[in-house]
Amino acid sequence: MILIISDIQEGKLRSVNAEVYTAAVALGKETGQPVATVLLGASGLKELAATAGNYGVEKAIVVEDAGLAPFSPDAYAAAIAHVIRETGASVVLMGATFTGKDVMPRVAQHLDVALVQDVINVRDEGGLVFTRPMYAGKVHADVRVQTSPALATIRPKSYKPAEQAADVAVEPMSVSVPAAKVQVVAYEGSSNGKLDVTEADIIVSGGRGMQGADKWGMLEELADLLGAATGCSRPVSDDGWRPHEEHIGQTGKTVSPDLYIACGISGAIQHVAGVSSSKFIVAVNKDPEAPIFKVADYGIVGDVFDVVPVITEEIRKVKG
Amino acid sequence: MNFALTEDQEMLRDEIVHFARQELNKDIIERDRNQQFPRDLWLKCGEMGLQGLPVPEEYGGAGLDALSTAIAIEALGYGCEDGGLSFSICAHLLACVIPIMNHGTEEQKRKYLPKLCSGELIAVNAMSEPGTGSDAFNMKTRAIKEEGGYRVNGTKIWSTNGPVADIALLYAVTDPGKGISGSTSAFIVEKETPGFSPGQKFEKMGLRTSPIGEMVFEDMLVPESALLGGEGAGFVLFNQSMEWERVCIGAKHCGTMRRLMEKSVSYSKERESFGQPISKYEAVSNKIADMKMRLEGARLLTYQGATRLDKARDVAIDASMTKIFVSEALVQTALDTVQIYGGNGFTTDYEVERTLRDSIGGKIYSGTNEIQKKILGNWLGL
Amino acid sequence: MNIAVCIKQTPDTTTRIQVADGGGEIVDDGIQWIISPYDEFAIEEALKLTEANGGEVTIVSMGPARVEKTIREALAMGAQKAIRIDCESIPNDPGVTAKVLAEVLRGRGFDLIFTGRQAIDGDQAQVPGRLAHLLDWACVSVVIDLAIDGDKGTALREVEGGSERVHFTMPAVIGANRHLNEPRYRNMRGIMKAKRIPIEVVQVDAPAPQLEITSYSYPPQKGERKLFENGASDVAEVVRLLREEAQVI
Repeated sequence: MILIISDIQEGKLRSVNAEVYTAAVALGKETGQPVATVLLGASGLKELAATAGNYGVEKAIVVEDAGLAPFSPDAYAAAIAHVIRETGASVVLMGATFTGKDVMPRVAQHLDVALVQDVINVRDEGGLVFTRPMYAGKVHADVRVQTSPALATIRPKSYKPAEQAADVAVEPMSVSVPAAKVQVVAYEGSSNGKLDVTEADIIVSGGRGMQGADKWGMLEELADLLGAATGCSRPVSDDGWRPHEEHIGQTGKTVSPDLYIACGISGAIQHVAGVSSSKFIVAVNKDPEAPIFKVADYGIVGDVFDVVPVITEEIRKVKG
Repeated sequence: MNFALTEDQEMLRDEIVHFARQELNKDIIERDRNQQFPRDLWLKCGEMGLQGLPVPEEYGGAGLDALSTAIAIEALGYGCEDGGLSFSICAHLLACVIPIMNHGTEEQKRKYLPKLCSGELIAVNAMSEPGTGSDAFNMKTRAIKEEGGYRVNGTKIWSTNGPVADIALLYAVTDPGKGISGSTSAFIVEKETPGFSPGQKFEKMGLRTSPIGEMVFEDMLVPESALLGGEGAGFVLFNQSMEWERVCIGAKHCGTMRRLMEKSVSYSKERESFGQPISKYEAVSNKIADMKMRLEGARLLTYQGATRLDKARDVAIDASMTKIFVSEALVQTALDTVQIYGGNGFTTDYEVERTLRDSIGGKIYSGTNEIQKKILGNWLGL
Repeated sequence: MNIAVCIKQTPDTTTRIQVADGGGEIVDDGIQWIISPYDEFAIEEALKLTEANGGEVTIVSMGPARVEKTIREALAMGAQKAIRIDCESIPNDPGVTAKVLAEVLRGRGFDLIFTGRQAIDGDQAQVPGRLAHLLDWACVSVVIDLAIDGDKGTALREVEGGSERVHFTMPAVIGANRHLNEPRYRNMRGIMKAKRIPIEVVQVDAPAPQLEITSYSYPPQKGERKLFENGASDVAEVVRLLREEAQVI
């Protein structure tokens, strides 16, 4: 069985789940295995189970236990390990969100099995092969796992969600939840509910060439128009022009959006590594020799302050 | 003969460069324009341990040998674009801290070295006088022994750090009858001492963030305990401190030359004329090749001088050669850098004209290059 | 409070990582080795805690003799002790690393263990969680703020779009993130002191790895790149292509 750990935040399924369901269903077809998901929490999970069905998942195991609220990564890990043992799953997938990457190592150690984090592709080549970026994306590695089950987290935006209706059989399961050593007591959004760069389809990003924090209005305007998140390079976050959670690069976040628009970013190797798995990159820079143009699908040589407002205007036209 | 740096020499070099680039180069154009001494940065350098590099750890220093000290100062010269600040640190360390370290009584060392190393105290070397520069021991400042110590009268000029200093290493004639090698004594004087007053501050073409000024001593009574190295030790003490200065400021220049060379390389590869980078023209690349040769030659001389400083013998000639060769190499490199930058180099924003202005002083301070050649000539029996 | 900080020697962030012919390994030659940058936040936090509460900081790293240079760089920040766990090459299975670390660190009387949120070569982010589980300790990863009060602690950890406030019990494993603090410079006294600190070398039988990297490759090259050199006047065409050819807007 391929088991997906559904990532629930504040009572809602995160967007990455649809991607992981899609990856799992495809792998299930490839390997002839059934696909199930498990939803864990204190209550109210059955309603969420239907969503999994939209992406072809046929079974949802629901674990409701008062001990699972507030969220505790170690209590969760123990419960997940229990479900894996109980179901005999051979492959376990979860979104490589901050939660997924925190919980799954604990699960892996509960079971003493291998875990592959931040997978961008999984396939069967006489055994599962997981592809994941290393060195912030400077290279990709193919990984094989010697344990069963094999655990993996799937990097957001690596799979395009494919809707395919299935009837979900909901099956409750009870587990014993140990006392938590760690508990999440509050979520403190610092970006005013804006989309995180790791989850965004489109990112509008600015670098030193933007010249100052006060110049970000035009990038935000373009981002709003596109439903995009805003990002930045390291010097920008170091200088406090933008909050650190927007920092993209080797010591910040690595991102894989459909479209990455780099404005006034020269393209230091650490930054380029962090955006290398973007599907499409547009760069605006006045220096035609800027290294960002070596990775950009479309490069526009020009002053960001001239070019970006025109991009906004043109997109507004085509979007009507 | 082993030319490789040790692991800790590499570490201290890399860390100083990193520190200097992160902390010391902000707002330097403004500071230079306004002749501002950055006391806050001075203190950060103190935390880094730059003002006490060779001082034993028990007195608050890092206990580096002389070669490692030179390597550290070279790193500062490379990473720090504020030539005035690094010069002030050199003057403080080489001409004040090191003489106290080498010649101070246990009490003097305990009292002054920890605070000099941390940067809490700033020191000035008070030697030159209005009428005497290179012929320093012709000084007029007198310290006459009396009940309770020495009574000092005189005026010093060109005292680096003078306007901001907390203590002075003051040279004065104690016994004019004893001839040049025994007539002069050195005193550690605190700025609160009655009769000690700073005079005018000078404006200058380069090293503008390093304050330099006049110091006036009027009927100032200093206790006998202020004598450094005993009566008549001034000559030996001063000459030793100049040997450290000539070698280690040479190290700072080596770092600066490396920075200028790297700037010249990257600028000449970016800047185009007639459809190709100017680095492709031999008129330009030859200048940069010369920079590289001068740098490597200068560094070898400097390191050789530095290894001999620890032995404190026969280093005078090395120090003089290093001083001449390195300071002239720096001026030439700075001139060529401005030339390669062309019109841009002549403007302030490209930050190479400042280094040129800063470099000129190198041929003058710590004994002019002309005097150094005289020392060499004498040594050669000419 | 006695604290262990687990650090890893990684290639400098500016390194152009080279895959060996055949894709079997990463080329080691010519790499400038550094402390994985997140580990510096871990060291700084450990130093601050021991400066405030007393106790010692022990640097722990796995690898061949080569990593002692990196250990010295960590010691130069002000740590008191160091352990190198000897092995021919640094494991690329984080499960192995966690098990070896647990074996070495267990029973040494540590109150806290720090790691970086992840090492910047493997980017696995597994060691903190696995190590905590093996020791039966609490673990908080990707920490940007930390306060310890007796046998309890509070942390902020970075998550998508903000942060989570977390309560935990001591002892704990903490994965440090950028912005937890501002790592100090290694001052000259620290560098000279670090030289004299003996590095304890420990031999451990490493367990068998559970995963294998079968090949490395460069990220796939994408299609033809287009450079538009006329600035704003090319924008309309770029937007058309984004919509019609790339189909990303």
